[in-house]
Amino acid sequence: MAVGNAVVDDAAVGDRPSGARRRRGGVTGRQGGVTRHNRVGYALFLPFLAVFVVTIVAPLVYAIYLSLYRDQMIGGNVFSGLANYTQALGDSLFLSGLSRVGLFLVVQVPVMLILAMLIALAIDSGRLAGAKIFRIGVFIPYAVPGVVATLMWGYLVGRQFGLAGSISADLGIGLPNFLSSGWMLATIGNVTTWEFTGYNMLIFYAALRAIPVELYEAAEVDGAGEFRKAWSIKVPALRRALVLATTFSIIGSFQLFNEPSIMQQLAPGVVSTNYTPNLYAYNLAFNGQEYNYAAAVAVVLGVVTVVLAYVVQLWTARRERVL
Amino acid sequence: MTSRFRRLAAGAAAAMALVTLAACGSGGGSSASSSGPVTLTFWTWLGTGPTQKLANEFTKTHPNIKVNVVNAGRSQEEYTKLDTALKAGKGAPDIAQIEYFALPQYAITQHLVNLSGTSAASVIKSKFTPAAQRQVTVNGGIYAFPQDVGPMAMFYRKDLFKKAGLKPPKTWAQYAADAAAIHKKLPQTYMGNVDPGDPGTATSLMWQAGATPFRTTGTTHVTVNLDQPAVRKWASLWSGLLEKKLVTTDTGWTASWWHGMAAGRYATWITGAWAPVSMYAAIAQTKSDWAVAPIPQWTPGAHVDAQNGGSSSAVLSSSPHKAQAIEFLEWLDSSQQGAKQLANLGLFPPTKALLNSPSWLNAPQRMLDNQKANKVLAQAGDDVAPGWQYLPYQVYANSVFADSVGHDISAGKNLIPGLQAWQKSIVSYGNSQGFSVKTGS
Repeated sequence: MAVGNAVVDDAAVGDRPSGARRRRGGVTGRQGGVTRHNRVGYALFLPFLAVFVVTIVAPLVYAIYLSLYRDQMIGGNVFSGLANYTQALGDSLFLSGLSRVGLFLVVQVPVMLILAMLIALAIDSGRLAGAKIFRIGVFIPYAVPGVVATLMWGYLVGRQFGLAGSISADLGIGLPNFLSSGWMLATIGNVTTWEFTGYNMLIFYAALRAIPVELYEAAEVDGAGEFRKAWSIKVPALRRALVLATTFSIIGSFQLFNEPSIMQQLAPGVVSTNYTPNLYAYNLAFNGQEYNYAAAVAVVLGVVTVVLAYVVQLWTARRERVL
Repeated sequence: MTSRFRRLAAGAAAAMALVTLAACGSGGGSSASSSGPVTLTFWTWLGTGPTQKLANEFTKTHPNIKVNVVNAGRSQEEYTKLDTALKAGKGAPDIAQIEYFALPQYAITQHLVNLSGTSAASVIKSKFTPAAQRQVTVNGGIYAFPQDVGPMAMFYRKDLFKKAGLKPPKTWAQYAADAAAIHKKLPQTYMGNVDPGDPGTATSLMWQAGATPFRTTGTTHVTVNLDQPAVRKWASLWSGLLEKKLVTTDTGWTASWWHGMAAGRYATWITGAWAPVSMYAAIAQTKSDWAVAPIPQWTPGAHVDAQNGGSSSAVLSSSPHKAQAIEFLEWLDSSQQGAKQLANLGLFPPTKALLNSPSWLNAPQRMLDNQKANKVLAQAGDDVAPGWQYLPYQVYANSVFADSVGHDISAGKNLIPGLQAWQKSIVSYGNSQGFSVKTGS
């Protein structure tokens, strides 16, 4: 989620000055004011830039630098050019992890976003009793750390003394083993849906609150009911929020780490060390001492994520132009 | 107002980043000059409190050497930190606890002090058992002091065996037959558990079956052979038990597993001699139900055993105080006082003196219904088969065990395909690390 937050900050920082400049341009004169304003602007910007360079740019550059070398237990550190990248692109372990998170993305993200949208629409309809409590209730799982959430669900669905185990044994219902290889991805999807539905719901809810009341009034005058208003006003108004939430979810899916890593402790024969690309890079670096190759894998993963997120943005932008 | 707040916040963030960086830079371990009193850093996952107390006792008689005991995590966790420190070139301790399977890795990459030819080597040769000496010997050099060993034995639930009308098995054939019998009599009970995430026990059981799957010649030539008759013998026994669902495949050391241990889900636990202390900490309420017997044999009447687990303590070559570190380890691991107190912490001793001491041999084991367990376990130590070697990159090999063999264990399938896949990943990793890896004998 750190990346998501960075994106939010970034957008805020990017939007603010341009808006301010537009407004000020109308009020104050051009000479003098601009340079002084610029100086203040840079001064305000500098601390952010310093932190950004130290914590985001420098590690990225270092990872790219690392990925061009190969440090072996026997033979030492040598420059290897793009060898790590060609290896990564043909590495079946990496690619299988990538396709696994791809599948996860295609199935879990729509389920979660549709659920979040329905909840946001329900709360926004104003017809829900105890809407505030419901809203905070749906959001609370997001405040639970991912590790705790995964452990909790791991125990709930565990065979030995989990809830699922007890239901299986006491009621004689043959529940499947949710920690087996056939069910594991669905179990992880369940945990992440539980964790992040509330977060996405808030994004949608905020977008719904931004709709001018006049639109509803006009629709009512035209004789539109609640469902018609939801379909013709609210859902179209959610498009930008949906793009944002989808982008976050793509990033989140490709970076899947906490949940499978904890599940690995509970079912090591099921969650392999290459279950997700991030887990693979982690194991390469910290158990295999292959920092260089892990860096290449991380860079490839980053590029894939950026490209996909960009494609989503581009695709929706084009649709918006058509509509 | 808002912009001032933003600047403050950003400034604070920047300052914090700097503080963090500075904190990273200052963790450089001991750097006192070697003439005056020195402070050694000792990474170990033995209980920090008791171990520090032990180290303080050493300082009483050696006032110039202080030892700072640090728990840097258990096993893999510690190795990750150690690797990072070694890679960074600073922050590594003077002494680290290292399990025998990980020792070759650090020895071959020359991160450990080679003790052979020094007086410490002659101490090791005279005071430790031959089996323990073999465990700290890599490519002809001696790289650590044995700290504890884990000759294998069969811990079993005597209450369940009695209920089922069985005696503890003496051979693996009998073990397999009893597995069917005990599960038939007691449907909630399985003969044992095969942990899909435990390469240590799997390789130790291969060792006990007479296998030698890993061979290193010199420092760069490695031979991997997980397709030899002894490994196949091991695989066919456990594949059969797994396919017939006579053993479970629970993940070890979890709350769920301990729950099963206490509830009688597993009739036996075949593992290293260090087990009772862990059992006592977790499931002391079942102490009158457990007993220990020698590990089942492949040939009736034979006495062949293997080591499972156990650790050494090694001096890092980056330490500025190597002589003092060796002096401390000599005291801790081989002196009568040090070794005895380590044993009191629950470690199984590798020193000849302790293994032959009548008071130790006759001590009742509280976890095993006051059985004189040390007699059984000391005999197990004498029976350890020579000739086993670990890979010079066993840490990585073990980390991917669950992907292949562990996967087949979880699925309750034949283990041969998993072994082949594990061998493949071992070979390709070794080659990518610059070793020359061959398969076959």
